[in-house]
Amino acid sequence: MALLSIKSYITNTPLYRGTASIYRGAKQKGLDVVPESVYSNDRVIKGIKKTGEKISSAEQRLILGATAIMSQPFIDWNNKNVDEKTRKVSVARTVAKIIAGTLTGYYIRKGCIKGIKALSQIPGENVPKWKTIFTPKNVKDNTSDAFIQYRNAMGTVVALVVMMFTNFLIDAPLTKFLTNTFIKHGEDKK
Amino acid sequence: MKSPAQLFSDFKTVMYKKYGENPGQMLVHTGVLGWILSSLAQVTAVVFNDKISPEQKTFLIPQEAADAFVNIVSFYVITSSFKNLASKLVSTGKLTTKPIREFLTKQGVTSSEHIGKLGFNIENMANFQDIKGEYKSFKNGVDVVASTVGSIISCNIVTPVLRNEYAAKQQKKAIAKMHGTDTHELKSPRGISMDTYIKLSSAKYSSGSLKI
Repeated sequence: MALLSIKSYITNTPLYRGTASIYRGAKQKGLDVVPESVYSNDRVIKGIKKTGEKISSAEQRLILGATAIMSQPFIDWNNKNVDEKTRKVSVARTVAKIIAGTLTGYYIRKGCIKGIKALSQIPGENVPKWKTIFTPKNVKDNTSDAFIQYRNAMGTVVALVVMMFTNFLIDAPLTKFLTNTFIKHGEDKK
Repeated sequence: MKSPAQLFSDFKTVMYKKYGENPGQMLVHTGVLGWILSSLAQVTAVVFNDKISPEQKTFLIPQEAADAFVNIVSFYVITSSFKNLASKLVSTGKLTTKPIREFLTKQGVTSSEHIGKLGFNIENMANFQDIKGEYKSFKNGVDVVASTVGSIISCNIVTPVLRNEYAAKQQKKAIAKMHGTDTHELKSPRGISMDTYIKLSSAKYSSGSLKI
């Protein structure tokens, strides 16, 4: 109750209303800049819809890794604040980090999403109770898009907790190993 | 007081309701959570690393915290802006498919009055149920594409540039301190040396950001 009256007091102040009005105006301007588009190509529409259904955080991590390898080493290589030798080590470390982070990030997310799928079955006669441990209450349809997205979200949250440990146990040693390998490879080439 | 089982059940319901119909938002939120946990891991690694002296820790911990702040804020601001703009474009009818546009025309929606206006939202229309299936799957797809593009720009372009700028400044300060100079500027205009870089990077468990 007290929180509601505080909220009501804040949202009625001239400062809040002025800021909200400016923000709304800016948002409208942003919308106005984008031209109107109506997609009629079936393949494009299907592609967009499939992306929403199929891309989970695991695929997103893979896309991030693939684009990272195409951009981050170049950003590090062009960092003129450090000397050339330093830049070489920095690039090697960045590439190593991307490879280690993407591999572990993708497989752990994928594995956890799969695990949550196995543990979120719809309750039934032949389904053991432990297989419904992650099933939300009152859900009867395991084929709906909402339920598939729920499994992705829950799997991702579990994966993030797992990765708090694998960050030290796998990512960091693998990054160190790959960095040293790349540096050695670079020196041997000379 | 709720039991742990009740709390877990509530958590599952919240996850289902919040993200079941909004995968784009899920990608933004879990992305932020990922950055927070990864930053927390890096700060913890510095705090509990016996090889780092207390003196170095006083420098490294705020540096890691600032690095985390840059990563988290840039990820959230850029990715959620992309996702919100895309959502608004779809919900105001500015970005649509042919069937959605035909539905809007049938309902008397006009470009000049409604399309692209903040006060207009397809989801609030009286006959929304008629187009809900087509609209939701298209909107989810657009949201996921926008979140992914936003996170690519944030994680792979903006954050590395900001981090390099920040790290270079911090390293120059550290070297000046190590050499016992009063000034925080480097005498050499060429930047830091290889030996110093290796010394500094070995002192840290993991320099820069390690996205999990």
